[in-house]
Amino acid sequence: MSAINVDLAVNGFITGLFYALMAIGLSLIFGILKIVNFAHGEFYMVGAYAYTLVALAFGVPVWVALPIAFLVGALVGWATERTLMRPLYAGYTSWGLMRDEYAVIVTFGLSLFLINLVDKVIGPYAYRGPPLVETSRVVLGPVLISGHRLLAAGIAIAVILITAALIKWSFWGQQIRAVSQNRLGASLAGIDTAKASAIVFMLSGGLAAFAGALLSPVINASPDVGIFPAVKSYIIVVLGGMGSVPGAIVASLLLGVIESFGAVYLSYQYRDAFGLILLMLFLLFRPQGLFGEKGREV
Amino acid sequence: MTQPATPAAGAQLTTTKTTVEFRAALVAMAIVALIPLGVGNPYWLGVLIVSMYFAILAGGWNLLAGYTGQFSLAPATFAMIGAYTTGLLGTYYNVPPLLGIVAAVVVSGLVGLLLGRAVLRLVGPYLALTTLSFAEIMRLVASNTIDITRGDLGLGVAGLPIGRLAWYYLFLAVLVVLLILFYLLLRSKAGLFLQAIRDDEVAARRAGVDVVFWKTAAFTLSAAASGLAGALYAHFAELVTPELGLIAQTGLILSMAVIGGMGTLAGPLVAAFLVYVLSEWLRDVGGYQLVVFAALVVIFARFFREGLWGLAKAAVRRWRQA
Repeated sequence: MSAINVDLAVNGFITGLFYALMAIGLSLIFGILKIVNFAHGEFYMVGAYAYTLVALAFGVPVWVALPIAFLVGALVGWATERTLMRPLYAGYTSWGLMRDEYAVIVTFGLSLFLINLVDKVIGPYAYRGPPLVETSRVVLGPVLISGHRLLAAGIAIAVILITAALIKWSFWGQQIRAVSQNRLGASLAGIDTAKASAIVFMLSGGLAAFAGALLSPVINASPDVGIFPAVKSYIIVVLGGMGSVPGAIVASLLLGVIESFGAVYLSYQYRDAFGLILLMLFLLFRPQGLFGEKGREV
Repeated sequence: MTQPATPAAGAQLTTTKTTVEFRAALVAMAIVALIPLGVGNPYWLGVLIVSMYFAILAGGWNLLAGYTGQFSLAPATFAMIGAYTTGLLGTYYNVPPLLGIVAAVVVSGLVGLLLGRAVLRLVGPYLALTTLSFAEIMRLVASNTIDITRGDLGLGVAGLPIGRLAWYYLFLAVLVVLLILFYLLLRSKAGLFLQAIRDDEVAARRAGVDVVFWKTAAFTLSAAASGLAGALYAHFAELVTPELGLIAQTGLILSMAVIGGMGTLAGPLVAAFLVYVLSEWLRDVGGYQLVVFAALVVIFARFFREGLWGLAKAAVRRWRQA
């Protein structure tokens, strides 16, 4: 492999790590409520703003601003679940009809609302977040990378591993997986399904916000900054199999690398269309994704 | 949030319910027809014309999403396809506008047929994601094939040799004709088939409804109506841009249907006027229109699922009881 290919692979892999932070949360939400959260990009946007504004306006050190962004995202996720998602499963019978449509409308509306609210309150201008370290370039063999990006990638790996471990082994994680498999069965086994949903939304909002914060020095915080990563995470959850967390992680890394090469070797203009075409083809011909199991129709 | 009281009242509701809604919609259209007598301002006439453009789109989308339960996120895209069809035919082959508009209806209907056929088995979030991707791909194609469409600059389209008032009544006539068509369709057995598919597809199939045919038909009709609106708009604005297919446009159409009341004939039409006129007014007062409408969509979806139409119905019922 020539030097440029190594460089593309490493950079694509790192981009994939950030995609994974977004996609894990989206996949968890799909798993537990069987809905697509169209406001997921706005969780990312909230995180980017929280980190940037807290650090710039109040002079909070970046290492404190980062967890603050996570907390703000978790709070928004929690509020979304409490106010808008409860009808999906509480009093389910009267809401059974048009349930999917309700979820699309309400998350789509929330997305528009948050984007335009931030646009009016904070303004349409982009704010550049402060980098974690000032080192502008680190040379690792053939790979040239900024210090911030390298550090952010390391943090992303740690967060992804911790999240995966929590979902796999922790008590809450097991509860979440039980509810994803069978909501009724889980509630019969004494699991508080409402609490499980709330935890999923907090985790999902927090992770997306964390991604927004980590990337804010590279992709400046602006009202519509979340749309692009959200679209990527839709593609990823479809590729990885909707609801599958390991699938989402693998598909994120795959998409990051594919895009990195595609932008150089294929058309740059249509780089965003490739992923969407992939998404359509998968939904039409292989809706269970690369790794997912074939879903049962309920 | 009051529900119809007895099943007996619901048993005969489908036809009468649609008829009541149809009459209400006709009254609303009659009021719209009288507005130019009092409003001569070309700016506000223009606003109302654009409202009618959205009313056609919201009505067409409502047929698909509200009555058939196929939640497509691509209504604005079909308007864009219609607009580009007549625009490109006029630019490159000198096709007269009227023929171009007919072609736009056919082309967008055909694309709707193909898409509807492809997404037949997809439901809920899968359908939403697929149609959303379709919408974005189409928009990317329109804005990237700069040699042909002139990209984001937009394509100049020939206008019609008629004044603003004539445009107003042309749009109104198209809207009323579509309204009557939708009413006749929904009042016939087809209307029952579509709603049966929405309420329970498996049961509808067991009861002998040709689900494949009717789902595809709803997709095609809805796309053709959107294409017609887009083509008319292209000649009215004398410009076509990829912005016609923006997701935000779909958001506006969706919010009209939700605020008016999905699955009702009159709601989305009336709401299209309210939302668009109000948004023009809010634009002057500080630009909070999108914040307000997004909030309204969430609030209506969450608390008033039958929309303004449902609220009006409840108010009438309460008034009659009192």
